[in-house]
Amino acid sequence: MISVSTTQRRTWVPFVTVFLALVLLVLPAQELIRGFLPDWVSLALIYWALALPTRMRVSFAWLAGLAVDLVTLGIPGAHALSKAVLVYLARMLALRVRTYPLWQQGVVVMLLLGLEVVLLAIVDLVTAGGLGELHRWTAVIVGGLAWPLVYTALRRSRHLANLSH
Amino acid sequence: MVKRRNGGIIRGLGPYLLLSLTLMAAYLYIAPVRTVAQSAAVIGIPVHFLASLPSTALNAMQGHLTSADQLRSEFEAMRQRNLILQTRLHRFEFLENENARLRQLLSATPSQAEQVTLAALIAVNPDPGALAVLIDKGSADGVYRGQPVVDAGGLVGQVTKPGLFRSKVGLITQEDQAVPAQVARSGLRTVVYGGGPNRPLRVLYLDRNADIRTGDLLVTSGLGGRYPPGYPVARIAAVERNLAESFMKIGAEPASHLGQDREVLLLWLPGAGASSPGKDETEAKAADD
Repeated sequence: MISVSTTQRRTWVPFVTVFLALVLLVLPAQELIRGFLPDWVSLALIYWALALPTRMRVSFAWLAGLAVDLVTLGIPGAHALSKAVLVYLARMLALRVRTYPLWQQGVVVMLLLGLEVVLLAIVDLVTAGGLGELHRWTAVIVGGLAWPLVYTALRRSRHLANLSH
Repeated sequence: MVKRRNGGIIRGLGPYLLLSLTLMAAYLYIAPVRTVAQSAAVIGIPVHFLASLPSTALNAMQGHLTSADQLRSEFEAMRQRNLILQTRLHRFEFLENENARLRQLLSATPSQAEQVTLAALIAVNPDPGALAVLIDKGSADGVYRGQPVVDAGGLVGQVTKPGLFRSKVGLITQEDQAVPAQVARSGLRTVVYGGGPNRPLRVLYLDRNADIRTGDLLVTSGLGGRYPPGYPVARIAAVERNLAESFMKIGAEPASHLGQDREVLLLWLPGAGASSPGKDETEAKAADD
């Protein structure tokens, strides 16, 4: 295949976007909206898993999840586990989901985020004996609704980085 | 086809699941692993720094925009307030001495003073799933799990996760937090439960005839040993007596500003936690209202 662009591929762009998502995750927010903010790191990881299923590694998702655990001072391994599962599933579904219209992709993203919340709730139940994370289901819905926004922004970054496959 | 996919799951996801579960189990059951995790959490510092930049910049800008007149009047108001507090403190010291003397006469154990350390809040939302704030002191400063945290208004919460240089403080409004308290006016003992995000605190299991009314101040009772006695916890906002139910429905507003201030105080209880406080500690007395 003939390469359309002669400029260099910037493979570091996905890492930077996930790092920015991590910063966005801990951005201070009013208590009123705090519960509604989606997990930006998960959204970014899902995007890259759908866009570049062959390059996106589960190991990267695992490390990103571990970073989330360390940054939020949580139990190390909880988000690592949930994000590894998330990216594994997203990679498996990638070729099918990519053909969907955006709103339908949003529904799939919502299901994936919902699964993550359930996984984290199970971890909470086992380690702390309470369902701490389960009230985050509103964030799941907001995450699905925010998908077109995340998709558009990250697709732009992918095009700027010349990462077409 | 199906078989191949199964093999894929085991090879593709299995190692990561195993690794995560091992890590979590090790963290929960092996103390040295917890220490390592606390130290590893320093990788969060640049992330926290970046996330707090917008609000820090906003604060700095506000500082530049305040006029000299405004600053002068603010300074004047603060000086007056300081004067009033000073006079009240003298009276308080007198009462404290008297209290100690009376306790001696009764040969009761004297109430001991707590030590405090000032900690700055870091303008980040440390845990999107919980009501928590991040402070800039960690186990390196002697912060321990369960340490009480107060601010100018009253009880903020307790340290839920100490890191090496940063700690997570769970607010009393968190659903899984409970504070042994008593009504300052009547001495009625009760427990204040967190209500979750955007919800008032709850005071549960109080008898219909219990002496409590709207506007009452709840202070920590010191029972349970986690929180020292006498710190304001909440003010009763709504009392609902229902003849059909044996308990009252009581809502309360937290007395502290819950992370709205830029600084909080970490308390070291006398005897609790074999940790050494930091350098910048000052002596403070337990306020008894």
